[in-house]
Amino acid sequence: MAEIVIDHVTKRFGDLAAVDNIDMTFSDGEVACLLGPSGCGKTTLMRILAGLEQPTSGRVLFGGKDVTDLPPRKRNVGMVFQYPVMYPTLSVAENLALPMKYDRALDQSERQRRVDEVLDVLDMRPMARAFIEDLDIGSRQKVAIGRAVARQSEIVLFDEPTTNMGVAAKLQLIHAFKRVTRRLRQTIVYVTHDQTEAMTLADKIALMKAGKILQYDAPHVLYSEPSTAFGGWFMGNPGMNFIPATLQPDGIHAAILAGPIAAPAHLPKGEITIGIRPERVTMSGQAVTGSVPGTLVDQAVGIAGRYLTTVRVGGATVKVNTVGAPPADLGGTVNLMVPHARVMLYVDGVRVAG
Amino acid sequence: MSLATQTPGRRRLMDNPRARVLVLLAPVMMFFIVFNTIPTLWLLGLSFYKYSLTGGVPPEFIGFKNFVGIFNAKNAIWFDLSRTFTFVISGVAFQTLLGAALGFLFWGSRNMPGRRVALTLLFAPMVLTPVATGTFFRFIYDPTFGVLNYLIRAVVETGPIDFLGNPKLAFWAVLAVDCWMWTPFMTLMTLAALGSVPKAELEAAEIDRVPFLRRLTLVIWHHGKFIMMLGILLRTIDSFKTLDLIIPMTKGGPGQNTRLVALELNKQSFESFNMGWSSAYAVLLLLISIAMTSVFIYVLNLRRRKETEG
Repeated sequence: MAEIVIDHVTKRFGDLAAVDNIDMTFSDGEVACLLGPSGCGKTTLMRILAGLEQPTSGRVLFGGKDVTDLPPRKRNVGMVFQYPVMYPTLSVAENLALPMKYDRALDQSERQRRVDEVLDVLDMRPMARAFIEDLDIGSRQKVAIGRAVARQSEIVLFDEPTTNMGVAAKLQLIHAFKRVTRRLRQTIVYVTHDQTEAMTLADKIALMKAGKILQYDAPHVLYSEPSTAFGGWFMGNPGMNFIPATLQPDGIHAAILAGPIAAPAHLPKGEITIGIRPERVTMSGQAVTGSVPGTLVDQAVGIAGRYLTTVRVGGATVKVNTVGAPPADLGGTVNLMVPHARVMLYVDGVRVAG
Repeated sequence: MSLATQTPGRRRLMDNPRARVLVLLAPVMMFFIVFNTIPTLWLLGLSFYKYSLTGGVPPEFIGFKNFVGIFNAKNAIWFDLSRTFTFVISGVAFQTLLGAALGFLFWGSRNMPGRRVALTLLFAPMVLTPVATGTFFRFIYDPTFGVLNYLIRAVVETGPIDFLGNPKLAFWAVLAVDCWMWTPFMTLMTLAALGSVPKAELEAAEIDRVPFLRRLTLVIWHHGKFIMMLGILLRTIDSFKTLDLIIPMTKGGPGQNTRLVALELNKQSFESFNMGWSSAYAVLLLLISIAMTSVFIYVLNLRRRKETEG
């Protein structure tokens, strides 16, 4: 059992709190992604887990054991860096075996078995005797991943391992990662700023901003029910539409809503923001019950036959992601339909209902 | 456009890539030829002549007699060379080891308060003029009023020690000053070499539980060796030419105990004015320097070749 407990950890660099009093538990055998924009503190948090940085305050526990003051080599974690580390004087197989050399509990045959296993999983057996000059950057990173998992430590950390890779190498690495993690149920923390990668790999995503974790949820929950406006904006391409609305006694009124929608009674009356994902809004040529007319002001072809359009409704601008071409030309009138169940309500950037 | 119409000739010249290279290189090439190539060729020619500035006799071509004379003379070049190589090898070895040790200390103490001040102080000896260093060390070593004697006699009961006058001590006393002066240089090279090691590789080695000594060979030496070898090469060549540090201290004495090749050359050419003889001597030193440099470059290239071959 190796769940990771982050107990009120803060890391300050001068006046800046890179990690701001984070309190979080990553469960055993789970792939957790730390997702967030550059400079949100996700790499710092990971380096604290690895022991490469000391927290200013707070504790880190692995499987119930306090490791805050242990140096990295005593924490028994594997780690993959953004820069692909492959020891230049060692072959691929020697690289994989290196961390196990310093584990006295393992005998030679067990080490060999694990190296072979990882070589198979990574599909690198023909390259076992290759050196760094023979490998492209993606393969070097695969070696780094292999080295981090072959020792079978209970915790493996990934610090943006695909950042410097080309598209092909990136896909290859993600496949390798999936195969490896399916095989060895280790607790994994994976730092990335790429939401697609996080959605693909993670069991749960921790969305970070300015040193804090805003939300920690399964990818689909994080996507469809972001607890903060930041989450709605950051996830998805384009992000969630945020439209000003007012809460009146009979419900919520907004330009894109045909009629008021019911709101929970506890919400204070007045200004409110509604959030709706662009792909949840539907568009039609004819006006139907519950639809709102708007002007098509922009359109672009997206992937998989989808169209990304911008529609002006009243004073509001709505991005709509539709299947198939929009029913009107630029400047023409289209009718938008917003499913009430998909509308999220935000006050001061925090979700209050919906 | 106005530029083109004003100076069409120059524009055309600078547009031609080959011509541009030549034009841009010309000043430095001129400098190199006037101050380096011509004097070297002149030196080479002069080494075949019997020519003394004080004799008032025109130069006389004597073939290889100067070279033969250098090897047959009573104070044969061999003594000077062996002394010089002892000086170079033990000096550079000591400076490299101590310099590297200090480099690692500074590297590992990045958060130590006062580190910058300590580094600046450490590099002070290196930027001093060797003549000044030699002069003040002559006073430090002085047997009657030198501070070193004062300190030693404050601890141990002994007579005055004449560091620079004692034939057994003079060589090592001079070598110690050379080390005092140039160890910081190797510290600097060590810091530069350590700076060239990718941080992620060091951190990965730490996480992979690699012990320090293994990390040294696996990661640090692999990335830092080129800069370190370059430092050792520069130090070796420079140490081979040591002159200005020793002149104010011993002038090569007592006897010939601190007479390195550069001192002998200096004496023969600028005190005795035996221009032909000292030209031949200088040619020999030049050949030795080239040989040493070639060995270093060969070693460095060999390593690199091995790497690329895998």
